[in-house]
Amino acid sequence: MQLNHKNITQSLLGASCTLLGSNVHAQKWDIDAAILYYGEPDRVQAIEAIVSGTKEYSTDHSLSLKVVVDSLTGASANGAIEQATPQTFTRPSGNGQYTVDANTTPLDDTFRDTRVQLSAQWTQPLNRQWVYSGGANVSREYDYQSIALNSSFSRYFNTKNTTLTLGASLSFDSVDPVGGRPVALSEMVVDSGQFNNENDFDTAFNLTRDIDSENRNTVDVIFGLTQVMSKRWITQFNLSLSDVDGYLNDPYKLFSTVNNQGEAISQRFESRPDTRFKQAIFAQSKYHFSRSILDASIRIADDDWDISSQTLDIKYRFLLNNNHYIQPRFRYYQQDEAFFYQPFLSVNSTQPDYISADYRIGRLNAYTIGLKYGFKNKKGNDYAVRLEYYTQTPENPGVILPEPLTNEAVFPSVDALILQFNYSF
Amino acid sequence: MRRLLFLFLLLNLGGCSQLGVHAWERGTLAKDDMALTADAVDLSLDDHIYFSKEGTSGGRGFAGGGCGCN
Amino acid sequence: MIGQKFVDPVSQQHYALTQHDSFISASFYSMASTCEVLIETQDTFIAHTLAKICLGEVDRIVQKFSRYLPGNVCHAINNSQGRPVTLDDESLRLLKFGQTCFDLSDGLMDLTSGILRRAWYFDGSDNIPSQAQIDALLPFIGWEKVTVNDNHVTLPHLMELDFGSIGKEYAVSKLCELSLRYLPDVSVLINLGGDIQVTHPRRDASPWLVGIESSEEVIPLVRGALASSGDTKRFLLKDGVRYSHIINTNTGWPVVDAPTLVTVHSSVCIQSGCIATIALLKGSQAIPFLESQDVQYWVRDSED
Repeated sequence: MQLNHKNITQSLLGASCTLLGSNVHAQKWDIDAAILYYGEPDRVQAIEAIVSGTKEYSTDHSLSLKVVVDSLTGASANGAIEQATPQTFTRPSGNGQYTVDANTTPLDDTFRDTRVQLSAQWTQPLNRQWVYSGGANVSREYDYQSIALNSSFSRYFNTKNTTLTLGASLSFDSVDPVGGRPVALSEMVVDSGQFNNENDFDTAFNLTRDIDSENRNTVDVIFGLTQVMSKRWITQFNLSLSDVDGYLNDPYKLFSTVNNQGEAISQRFESRPDTRFKQAIFAQSKYHFSRSILDASIRIADDDWDISSQTLDIKYRFLLNNNHYIQPRFRYYQQDEAFFYQPFLSVNSTQPDYISADYRIGRLNAYTIGLKYGFKNKKGNDYAVRLEYYTQTPENPGVILPEPLTNEAVFPSVDALILQFNYSF
Repeated sequence: MRRLLFLFLLLNLGGCSQLGVHAWERGTLAKDDMALTADAVDLSLDDHIYFSKEGTSGGRGFAGGGCGCN
Repeated sequence: MIGQKFVDPVSQQHYALTQHDSFISASFYSMASTCEVLIETQDTFIAHTLAKICLGEVDRIVQKFSRYLPGNVCHAINNSQGRPVTLDDESLRLLKFGQTCFDLSDGLMDLTSGILRRAWYFDGSDNIPSQAQIDALLPFIGWEKVTVNDNHVTLPHLMELDFGSIGKEYAVSKLCELSLRYLPDVSVLINLGGDIQVTHPRRDASPWLVGIESSEEVIPLVRGALASSGDTKRFLLKDGVRYSHIINTNTGWPVVDAPTLVTVHSSVCIQSGCIATIALLKGSQAIPFLESQDVQYWVRDSED
């Protein structure tokens, strides 16, 4: 009798792993999902949704996939200075104008963009000491796209109490702004009746635009050390370097040239250097008290644009009964201005090669305070919600304001509310 | 003898100053809450917010682009 | 080399620790067999810790699943009189594994077949039961009559469940899991009465050497698991026919022409154990069956 015996070895292995529980994950994806609302009153509103899945194949071999979709609408400061009279600006596309009221921060209200980002990351041990991780990341929005690749190697020392990691990432971005790329330092063409017809305006407008897209390449290197300090304490130190090369202007940002009476006599497009070299030290410590966990991190960074910053981030998780927790958070950020940052250009100064009035590379302080509440149900699913308040206070880096401008909000602060829901299963 | 004792103490101190824990003492550190990358989704959302609102990015992970939001 | 004797204060079980050239062995007696934990270390503290962890886990599994103990999971199911029994996650996973074994073996491997022990006593004698005795038991056998749901099991009245056929291998694999968790970088071999699993290769990748029951053969084991099925001592002999203790659950009679002992090497001990058991249940088809699996195997026949 010739019997056909089916091969049941693999099926039995799968069943064995399920039985042992430890590799239950091998059979399914661990999904983390979140949706975040970010809103600045009267300014930008954003919704960002993220779904990330991780699957363990065998011991420590894992694949993570992530999809992020975010949608941005609303108004954003265009960099021009607030005036005592209404101001008119041409929209980035060149089609139409918008007018900003007197004594109001000039905001460009045409922002509307949707971004989709996909990432994949594979991690696996090479042997008992070494772990490799590699991944790719693509992101696309209307005026910007990015492809990035990363790789890192980690080595364990001291019976896995110490881990050294060396990682690098390359990213290739391209910028293709709405209405073309403004010529740096060119004056914004505004139709105030001086053109005979639309064609004349278009000709003048196009003279200030380059239509081809521009590239931006980034090389990041991180050297990291993770150290187990005690049964309750783990720390991490990172040293990171980042070299950015290419088109670094914000194509939608202007700076105003201001006369001695504080009047904006022209609006020009900003100009930034086309390279930037950044370095940062990051340190994090987590300590588990009997019923709470303290997570504190600091970051000290600076770059060759002279933006130096300090960040302190503290999260303190109180572990309540039945897998509930509540976690207050405090974050403080302070940065010094870039060497080419000026809130406006005075007519008395010669025009520099590089200038930007973007407050985000100016001198500023920022605070975040927040609260997160979460729990894990009996099936092991996690639910969480966090509510945070973020406030940015730009500061005068020492510029003397012409008398009339002292009545204007030259350094307006920005407030934002962040609301997020998490679900993991 | 005294010297030996001293040497022994010194070696012992060396042993104590070695950072870290034995593998079977990792129970607390093994909790999800204690992972340095716990709440990875929050961290990545935060990175995006602060990348677009502040002059510095990265540090914890790669600073790199991926977003025209600055 | 006789080890020092110790008592685990938690489980109150005794164990002995012996220092060898490149490892320390902890031995104890449980599940009616001699058990060993070989740990590639010279640190007796580590060895004591792991020995106690293993003793505790084996004791836990015995207390929870042994057919002979009152008040546990097995007892609750067997005395449910046909009513559903709500179960914990681990018990459900074991039952679902039993279901998989039943399916994969085309009904040969069946956790409800233990009831045949009432007719068959494998004591080396010639006590063969009558067909009437066996026929009386057959209606109470058959996994297909058992219902396993999300959180409970329903076993028909008068049927019996027995985890014996997978319990020991399950314990071996569980001990390996614990061992890997507590000593992720130490090679450990778990041996519960001949069912064996290694957590990961030794530092110099040299094998652990494992002997097979009443044989000269030594199997070098670098990674994975070994489990045996069959028994050189448990059989009945009548009129020159050797009745093995492996019983075909469909007929109620011992499998004919099965090898005496099948040893299988695969990744996980319960996997090896099931393949070895199913091979024996296949009787004369044992070797063709083993050939069609992706495993290494060793077979000994009764003529040996």
